[in-house]
Amino acid sequence: MPLRTSAAPLVQPMDDRRTSLQGGVVELAPIWDGLDAIDIGILVWSPDRVLIYINEGFHRGCGLPVALGMQYDEYVAAVAQSHEWVLPSAPDDWAQETIRDFGVINEADYQFATGNIMHVAQRPAAQGGMVVTFTDVTAVKRNERELREAKEAAEATDEAKSRFLRAANHDLRQPLASLKILIYNCLREQDEEQRSEILHAMGVAASIMEDLLGALLQIGQLDAGRIQPRITSFQLSDLFDRLRIQFRHQAQEKGLRLRFVTPNKTVSTDRALLERILSNFVANAIRFTEVGSVLIGCRKEGRGLRIEVVDTGRGIKEEDCDRVFQEFYRVADDNRAQKKGLGLGLNIVMRLAELLEHPIRLRSKVGKGSIFSVWIPLGNIWHSENGLAAEITEAVAGEFAGTPVLLVEDDEILRESMAQLLRRWGIDVHSAANEENALRLVADGAEPELIIADYNLQTRTGLDVINAIRKAAGEDTPAIVVTADAEPKVINGIREAGVPVLIKPVSPPRLRVLMHNLLFEPDVHRQTGS
Amino acid sequence: MKGDTSPVPIGSMVPLTGPAAADGAEFRNGMILACEELNARGGLLGRPIQPIFADTCRQSAKEVVAAARWLIEKHKVHAIVNGYNIGAQNSEYEPIADAGIIYVHANTLLQHHDTVMSNPDRYFGCFMADPADYWYGPGFIKFISWLRDSGQWTPNSDRLAIISGSTPYSIVISNAMANAAASFGWRVCFGPKIVQTPTSKWRDVIEEVRATNPAVLANTHFYAGDLAHFQKQFVEKPMDCLVYLQYGAVHRTFTDIAQEASNGVIVSSIIGLLRDEMGKRFEARYKARFGDGSTPTIGCQSYGNMHHYAIGAAMAGGSGAPGDFEQNRKVAFALKGMIYRTVHGTIRYHPDWQAVVPYPVMTHDPSLGMPHIFYQIQDHREPLSMIAPEPYNTERFVLPPWMNKRSAKPKPALVNSRGLTDF
Repeated sequence: MPLRTSAAPLVQPMDDRRTSLQGGVVELAPIWDGLDAIDIGILVWSPDRVLIYINEGFHRGCGLPVALGMQYDEYVAAVAQSHEWVLPSAPDDWAQETIRDFGVINEADYQFATGNIMHVAQRPAAQGGMVVTFTDVTAVKRNERELREAKEAAEATDEAKSRFLRAANHDLRQPLASLKILIYNCLREQDEEQRSEILHAMGVAASIMEDLLGALLQIGQLDAGRIQPRITSFQLSDLFDRLRIQFRHQAQEKGLRLRFVTPNKTVSTDRALLERILSNFVANAIRFTEVGSVLIGCRKEGRGLRIEVVDTGRGIKEEDCDRVFQEFYRVADDNRAQKKGLGLGLNIVMRLAELLEHPIRLRSKVGKGSIFSVWIPLGNIWHSENGLAAEITEAVAGEFAGTPVLLVEDDEILRESMAQLLRRWGIDVHSAANEENALRLVADGAEPELIIADYNLQTRTGLDVINAIRKAAGEDTPAIVVTADAEPKVINGIREAGVPVLIKPVSPPRLRVLMHNLLFEPDVHRQTGS
Repeated sequence: MKGDTSPVPIGSMVPLTGPAAADGAEFRNGMILACEELNARGGLLGRPIQPIFADTCRQSAKEVVAAARWLIEKHKVHAIVNGYNIGAQNSEYEPIADAGIIYVHANTLLQHHDTVMSNPDRYFGCFMADPADYWYGPGFIKFISWLRDSGQWTPNSDRLAIISGSTPYSIVISNAMANAAASFGWRVCFGPKIVQTPTSKWRDVIEEVRATNPAVLANTHFYAGDLAHFQKQFVEKPMDCLVYLQYGAVHRTFTDIAQEASNGVIVSSIIGLLRDEMGKRFEARYKARFGDGSTPTIGCQSYGNMHHYAIGAAMAGGSGAPGDFEQNRKVAFALKGMIYRTVHGTIRYHPDWQAVVPYPVMTHDPSLGMPHIFYQIQDHREPLSMIAPEPYNTERFVLPPWMNKRSAKPKPALVNSRGLTDF
């Protein structure tokens, strides 16, 4: 290292960079340039506490108002008052301490106003004075934090999983043990009836395990943060309808009255997750109510609605009200046929409600019943998803949607392509190859509002077929004849019979206009005779 | 290098005679104003735009197809840009697709979606610059639900009566209303009943409706004159219900005939001039050019479409004559890709339908859809009040004069034995 040893103390003013030093021929400029190129900021202070060197890295990274020739005290005071650093103590205290520590080995991390974290290290120089370096450690710190958080999350998940598996273990063992016994019994059982009973019991045990695994999976997903709510606005009435359909039979079987008081409100939440919460409430209400009713309704509360599920069941003791939301909690005195309760439903509800930030509440009186409720914010009706199909087409919303039409065509390819066109318009197409098939369709319950018949059928004309169908389906059923025969005599013959005719290949717009007129504007049709 | 400076012929199929001649005149005005403005700024890449008008008379399929053929064969138009022609049922798409030119219209027909999607390659140039008729249905149901839920009106029941005209347009709207009703807490108590239109005789059907005691009565027929007679006959012995009349009641003709009976009627349009600064400036230019008696809210349709087309064609490097499929595909691509805010809202084509989508019923973002505007006639001598949707509305709903004033006040909520509220 001849360069360093031959160099004089670094007291060279910046404007004297190219001066050759005593006793040497060393050009210092490349050294200065090298120090300027690094990202670390460097300040060098002389023994008498004067700033004698600043590299470019300092200017790039720190941007503090410093100048060569500045006194150390002055520098510290400027930093303390600059608000550029987040200081660990009051500015004056910090300044005093820092001034006192001149020339002492010291290092600390400071957050800058820009958000960056700077590692500031000072070291004494051999002949007095001091060097201070400034290293940007923002990325390093961020990585450290992320790693730490990931580790903590992993540990927490691991702990939750262990706790969970311990609890689940018991619940899975029970049906599994039953299953083993049942299988053993089943193998030995000769009586067919008994066998079938055992098989049924095996089915029940398997379905309990299936439910349990399903619930575990849901909780696992919630724990792992894999369930991302998708908040939309929608009509609560649609959701209530689905719940009514889902639970009607269960309630009927138990002889309970299941009633929904349906609001017209738009709400703003995740539709599927809210449905899971409510279906858990309703399922529990039905399960734990022996007589009376289950009522689902809403109250206005602040800027939202509280959806309540009210039952006349056995109720929950006050001290148990919090515990019912814990994993695997089950009502203690239960020796009735409540085996289906896993003790996970309300835990899932609680986790979902936390995820959605919808407060849940339970009020209950032993022997009287319980009210489980969840609060949800109201939504903007203009944004309500009204259960519309994403693709609005004529098949679902056109003027002909659902109109039954009888199509008689003996050419299979033509019949299929015409049927396809009609179906695209939402028409309920009944197609037949001949009169016999057509009459059978009518006899089987097709009630055509319009007949479309080919003229040149194998044994009969389209007119004959139309007349026969009209006898069966109604004399005034409108009809159209299509024909490839452009012979004026034939066309006139059909027209004289009072049936409009289209020439093949049939133009879809013409067919559409004609069908519209026959079905909806018969007066226009009579006037124009199209 | 001086380029081609020959005029670019652009066709426009407008009903200059027949029952829709009033609208046709405005569509023509809109085209003229747009072309004048475009030409004043240098035309289409230096070529002046020359509009050529074809009369579609009664707007039947035959007349509209003949108009399209005449424009393509005789005038070799590069595009056809107009307002609406009802009754053609997309027949005109065939000669246009054969010629491979661009066609921009405001026919308001759901079948446009199906025609385009049935063969996107063939109908690449066909664009519908307003939302399909279907959207009037769910849009209307949301509107009345919004009035109800925001406390602006307390209906006396959940009953909705729907009368339909006999055109496909009216039938599609009626069915869409009926289908959307239940989700928002409405029960269809009458109809949709299809009445043979045109007609000025409504008393029988009004009496049938009366028997069902509705809270809302909607009539989806759209001829201004017929609707005016409907409204006059309704107020002879009014019911305690809101009255909604389809698009036609925005016309001056409606208030001219119905006069005071118009007051309180609700009407909507999925394409109409907005009352913001941009809309007002257009209105002033339009009236300065065509006189105070002209109707910029109708003329704006063809005006916006023409400007949009011209920008699209410029982006594509020019327009294409009949047969120049390659160039016109480039224009179509530009039109599909460009979101254009004009004086009546945003033209943004759905990538598959090649039709504009409505705000707020389909898109919740006003910058991506054309506003479905609800008006109320509050004083028949004054312009219509624009009462929804935000952020375009300029007035508030008022209870129609024929309605029971008590129903404006919120009633005490119905309470069941457990204290839960029926909303």
